[in-house]
Amino acid sequence: MSYFFQLVVSGIVVGSIYALSALGFVLIYKSSRVLNIAHGQIIAAGAFITYALTVWLGIPIYISFLMSLIITFFLAMSVERVFLRRLIGEPIISVIMVTIGLMSILDGLIYMTPFGAENFSFPEFLPKTPIALGGVSISWTQLLGLIITAILIAGFTWFFKRSTLGISMRAVSDDQMASMSIGISIPKVFGLAWATAGFSAAAAGVIIGNITGLNFDTLRAFGIIVFPVVILGGLDSVFGAVVAGIIMGLIQQFAAGYLDGHWGLYGTADLLPYIILLILLLFKPHGLFGIHEIERV
Amino acid sequence: MAQNRWLATGNFFTSYKEEQRIFLTHLDRLVFICFLVVLFVWPLFLEVGNKYMLVIDNILIAMVAILGLNLLTGFAGLISIGHAAFVGVGAYTVASFARILGDSHVLITHAWPLMILMAGGVGAVVGAIVGLPAMRLKHLYLVIATLSFQMIFQWTINFMSFFNQGQTISIGRVFWFTGKIVRKQHYFFWYYVILVIVIILGLAVRNLLRTRYGRCLVAVRDNDRAADAMGMHPGLTKVYAFALSGFFAGVAGALHAYLFRGAGFESFTLHQSISYLAMAIVGGLGTLVGSFLGPTAIIMLDLQVENLSEFFKHQFSAALDLATALRPLTFGLVIVLFLMFEPRGIANWWRIVRSYLKLWPFRY
Repeated sequence: MSYFFQLVVSGIVVGSIYALSALGFVLIYKSSRVLNIAHGQIIAAGAFITYALTVWLGIPIYISFLMSLIITFFLAMSVERVFLRRLIGEPIISVIMVTIGLMSILDGLIYMTPFGAENFSFPEFLPKTPIALGGVSISWTQLLGLIITAILIAGFTWFFKRSTLGISMRAVSDDQMASMSIGISIPKVFGLAWATAGFSAAAAGVIIGNITGLNFDTLRAFGIIVFPVVILGGLDSVFGAVVAGIIMGLIQQFAAGYLDGHWGLYGTADLLPYIILLILLLFKPHGLFGIHEIERV
Repeated sequence: MAQNRWLATGNFFTSYKEEQRIFLTHLDRLVFICFLVVLFVWPLFLEVGNKYMLVIDNILIAMVAILGLNLLTGFAGLISIGHAAFVGVGAYTVASFARILGDSHVLITHAWPLMILMAGGVGAVVGAIVGLPAMRLKHLYLVIATLSFQMIFQWTINFMSFFNQGQTISIGRVFWFTGKIVRKQHYFFWYYVILVIVIILGLAVRNLLRTRYGRCLVAVRDNDRAADAMGMHPGLTKVYAFALSGFFAGVAGALHAYLFRGAGFESFTLHQSISYLAMAIVGGLGTLVGSFLGPTAIIMLDLQVENLSEFFKHQFSAALDLATALRPLTFGLVIVLFLMFEPRGIANWWRIVRSYLKLWPFRY
């Protein structure tokens, strides 16, 4: 039984990271209807910037974490400014293809740094002995990741519910024309959406990097696993992203824990989300909490 | 009207049928035939090294794949970031036959045209299955569907022992009427085979676009609700586009497997999917000429990138593999720059040059 609970705990830890990664993705989709294919690369960039600041420049990790959040915030904002601003009003299909191109560019840029080929890991700054809770153990890094994720998600929820900027972002996602007519600057909101997405992606990147080590392929994969998560949660629901993230984390841990090694199956954790995704697209494409769009001619 | 059938000085169509003609003037037809003759004849006179023949064969195979991708992305407006996986389905169809029957079974070495067709068929079925969500959904979701198919494909190839865990599965040498195609003739032989296939498929696409189904694709791309109101079935049309594109990709995959005499995992990754997309975008989405120009341009560019990284190799440390870094960088840049500054692709330059030549010496 303790094996089961162990899987539940690690599933929740992984799931909360998925939730945090999916959050930024949903933000961009919600405000500008763009699927950001390059999300995983931004996640990786956040982690690598933190590493570079901590190890190469010798800044304490907490400060460099905050600094990398801010750097990625402006990085994502400038990406929007340079590449996507001039595509406002173009068909969505070409904007999505631009993000595909962006993913390729960022891949290339990261391959040029040492991070592309080698593995790194953050310096240890937490006690190594895991916390044991009645047969279930959780490591300090996982716990810290969980706490930071919870804080960030709560913060974002507050931001969207209460703050003026958050409300204007929601307004733009609802109806661009109407929000323009009450004086909301659409380009500004798009820029802000990208910036906050970059912010949350960097946070996710650092947390992942802390748990699994800094491997470009692992970090990048989080940008793709985000797709099953957001489809399950509903593409435009922040709350859905959180719930679906945790569900997906649990599914993956259970698959890895119970399916692998039996019946000649291996690596099912990497496969299952996508099969679920394809089935969901067939039968419930708007996910658990997504809004079913009604189009009028 | 006894109009000039050699030089068109303007549009004098009196019926839709006339407008739908493939060759507007005899001159067009003549140029086209001359061009084909040149394509068939040049290898007999020009001696080309195996390395460059391989590049040319590669370009032709990419053309087959891009014809399919262009049908899907350009004409039907459905982005696919899993096209390399569809190509892989074709390649692995042939490879799995080789795995079951042995790599020099008669079916593989003698009945290879059948195998190529079969790979196309399997590709079409898989394409239709992946495209099934299109019955209900719009392009955004289909991007995700194709991406997840790419992931599932990679998993299948990497983890199943039947597919040799992604290691190369070899395929035997094929036979022609003159006997076994030996190493020296290999690329030469496949050049002709692929060329014939490209021509057949190119004409097929050109013809398809004149028919009801082809115009359905374009109508659904432009406005699916309006198309629905006019009696087309948008969902079925999209699934049909997926199946067609899967067929082209399957054929390309089988050709790839035969040309490289094996199917390996590394030719069908997400990066390859992206470079296919780059080819389609650079060539010009929604144009037939683009399907030929795009692969040529991108593969030439790829060659240059490789040369460049060879050149810079000595200046940099050995740990840094410059080719792996430069390739995604250039492809990404090319995609983004073309979408930002020339969304109609090279085909648009081609159109401009053509209309300039047509009207020469007058400006307009």
